Amino acid sequence: MKRRSVLAGLAGAAASWTLPAAAQDEFGSKDLVAAAEKEGSLTYYTANFAEVEQEVIKAFNKRFPKIKVAMVRAPGGQIIQRIKTEAAAGKLAADVVNHSDRGLMKDLEDLFQDYTPPNAADYRPDALVSPKFWPGVTLGWALAYNTELVKNPPKTWMDLTKEEYKGKKIGQVVGPSGGTTWTRVMFERQVLGEDYWKKQAALQVALYPSGAPLSDALVRGEVSIAPLLYNIIYTKIVEGAPAEAIFAPEGVPIIPYADGITKTSKSPNAAKLFMNWRLSKEGQTFAIKSLGNITSLKEPPLFPKGWDPKIIKVWVPKFDEFEKLRDGWLEEWNKTYGYRQ
Amino acid sequence: MTATSTAALAEATDSAAVPRRWGAPLWVGALLIVLTFLVIYPLLMLLFGALSDSNPVVDGFGKFRPSLDHFLKVLANENVHLAFFNALAACGGGTILAVAIGLAFSWIVVRTNTPAKRFIAGASLIPLFVPPLVAGVAWSILGSPKTGLLNTVFKWIGIDFRVDFYSMAGLILVFGIYYAPYVYMFTSSALQNMDPSLEEASEVAGASAFTTLFTVTFPLIAPAILAGSLLSFVVMLGIYGVPAALGAPANINVLTTYIFQLTAWSPPLYNTAAAVAILLMMVTAILVWAQQRVLIGKSFATVAGKAFRPRSLNLGPWRWFTFGLALTYLFVVVVLPTLALTIAAFRKFLFIKDFDALFDAKAYGWFHFAQVFDNPLTMLSIWNTLKVGVITALLGGALAFAIGYTVTRTHVPGRKAIDLLSTIPVAIPGLVVGVAYLWAWIGLPGGLYGTIWILALAFVARFIPDTVKALSTSFMQIHKELEEAAWISGRGLLSTIATIVLPLARPGVVASMTLLFVLSIRELGSSLFLYTSDTTVMAVLLLDYYEGGNIGKTAAFSLVQTAILAVLLGLTNWLSRGAAQSSARVG
Repeated sequence: MKRRSVLAGLAGAAASWTLPAAAQDEFGSKDLVAAAEKEGSLTYYTANFAEVEQEVIKAFNKRFPKIKVAMVRAPGGQIIQRIKTEAAAGKLAADVVNHSDRGLMKDLEDLFQDYTPPNAADYRPDALVSPKFWPGVTLGWALAYNTELVKNPPKTWMDLTKEEYKGKKIGQVVGPSGGTTWTRVMFERQVLGEDYWKKQAALQVALYPSGAPLSDALVRGEVSIAPLLYNIIYTKIVEGAPAEAIFAPEGVPIIPYADGITKTSKSPNAAKLFMNWRLSKEGQTFAIKSLGNITSLKEPPLFPKGWDPKIIKVWVPKFDEFEKLRDGWLEEWNKTYGYRQ
Repeated sequence: MTATSTAALAEATDSAAVPRRWGAPLWVGALLIVLTFLVIYPLLMLLFGALSDSNPVVDGFGKFRPSLDHFLKVLANENVHLAFFNALAACGGGTILAVAIGLAFSWIVVRTNTPAKRFIAGASLIPLFVPPLVAGVAWSILGSPKTGLLNTVFKWIGIDFRVDFYSMAGLILVFGIYYAPYVYMFTSSALQNMDPSLEEASEVAGASAFTTLFTVTFPLIAPAILAGSLLSFVVMLGIYGVPAALGAPANINVLTTYIFQLTAWSPPLYNTAAAVAILLMMVTAILVWAQQRVLIGKSFATVAGKAFRPRSLNLGPWRWFTFGLALTYLFVVVVLPTLALTIAAFRKFLFIKDFDALFDAKAYGWFHFAQVFDNPLTMLSIWNTLKVGVITALLGGALAFAIGYTVTRTHVPGRKAIDLLSTIPVAIPGLVVGVAYLWAWIGLPGGLYGTIWILALAFVARFIPDTVKALSTSFMQIHKELEEAAWISGRGLLSTIATIVLPLARPGVVASMTLLFVLSIRELGSSLFLYTSDTTVMAVLLLDYYEGGNIGKTAAFSLVQTAILAVLLGLTNWLSRGAAQSSARVG
């Protein structure tokens, strides 16, 4: 018994010491891994949910247990403010930044270093806005509903303008809440029609400041139906919440994040390895399977449940329009939905 | 021997006089410098932000183009107006309710023979220790129009009535019941100190007890009522958690939630937030000024020179009615929310179809607690919070002692300025203070940023007024004669403070440090911008859970936080009792 456990320990140690050659190429050269492990830690700024990113770090540490990842999490606008202020004072602590708003990150491009992952060619060109930023996270919008409350669930985006869902049954995240919501708002108007907002607003939609509280409200039954980022509701469905989510045939608006390594990074090798792993097939597969993400890889390693690649198409906003239309359209959206900004 | 002691006394006075000539200005100067660093400098940064569209750290002062335009634009924005009037309505309504409850409570506790008065008095202060976000979350679980537990119960009983706490009425109610203790604290001491002979005169003249209450008693303590209500109004005005949980679902913005949104939207509008914060500060400043005016009046109106016992009214069988009232309040403000949090913390999903579903044992378990403690940030945040709490309590306690002593016990020139500077932070809302501190202190050399100390400094600055106020009362109770006796017998100022004032004021010092400790554990707004991965605190993590949309984990972590607070309060209570006893021995 004792000997067996010693052997098992040895085997485990051996496994963590020697990666298969293919895996090494996937995540970076032997030298990079050695240099990263020597640095031993990195600081990771994220606008994503702390718990989700905690899982990412755990999975990364399964592969690279010697690199400690310290995380700072704040809502999108606040993390940008911190990055700007810290950088100006010469005290930017972040090695890697993970942010959903490509527009805001593009403004900070100067703070980031050039970086290309080993599998750069596998990524969709329309998901890239700068050679410095890469979509480590890609999220997609789904239609979620409470299975205990909705007898006739919606099947398309257009269903969310139906009279039968009138009276605060539908919940929506407010337009100006961030890059992810702005993508959905743009999709609704450009793909579903100029009058889509008006039709939906007439149903007396319940407004929420961000997606996570809305997903909780859906599970509690405060609202019955809500367009939600799939990852926010996915983990709850897996845990057995009375909810379900579908992808609609008109398209799935996706949000490729803009993640980058800072120029002032004190652990540039660890940062690179962390980025490489997150962008690798393994990292993306983990994110799809465990977190409910979508991917910006041209050929997704797998699809979420209920996603038929023959029918469901992703929709990526044109980046110049993403920037140009934003203020004017959001103002109109606020007016249409009676949201005060 | 007499000659020797006279010479010694002269010598002592002489040697004390020289440093005192320079000592006082130096001392006042030092205090002013500390307060300028802690209060004025961040405040200037905030003004800078409100009056321009630049970030002082990023753009530098060179790009500062002062203009009122930006500020005026904010003033003209109708959404700001709406948030402003909502805030006035919610806090105004809440204050009226708080006065009604607080006054009733102090009357019950001080002036009647209601049973279990001491228990009622102690328990009625509990709401003060509940973080606002926790209160808001608990009441959203109880009072949501669609899924609220109260409505589920009403439905089960067969009552058609439904409550909706996602409304202005809900905000007012929750504000009122949670901030009633502020009014209670002021009015109960006033009632205790009041000369009962006027009431007796009223009753001799034929007025009923009820008439006497409203025509003599309450008017007599009117200054205390006003002071308590102004304070509770000001505190409500700066609260984020309650309107965030209850107002947001109904699209009701108040100034604090509006400021938070401005900083969370993308792109964030910090300068607008700073301008709204200045607006909030102006309202608060006017009220604080009004409160101080009222407080000056208070000492003339209610404190009489002769010794007396407050009258205790024999209520007869009605005392069970007042007892019932007190229990009802405690049930509503302590039992119900705790029950709601407990259900949310132990239930896997908070979807409760009907009343019977509440008792489905399968739906309950330790999942959320397991997940909360599986998160490495949880223990880190608890540890950090305790560290920050201790540092804040020690630093803040020492500073408050220095300020309180200088302001209330000496006549040094400049003490009025110290008093003023140490009152200003009351008027600064916590959410924006974080940005101001970030802007102000990140550029300082010496690696303050990113440490526990910057959080502690921010808390010390933010809570100076509360701590000084808590301490000043205990200074006032120490008679000047005792200090004078020490001076005459040849002790220097510092030695007098160390041997006379400090031991006598020790219960007050411990109490104010406890207060500081509790406040710093609850504090969210100023932590949000100053924490880093290594210095994350409980309040930030709680907001993370809340914003992450997991009500179960939010509730579980709230209970953990409450339990820690309860243990710590018990501990400090025990400590301060020890202090009180030993100082009683000294006295």
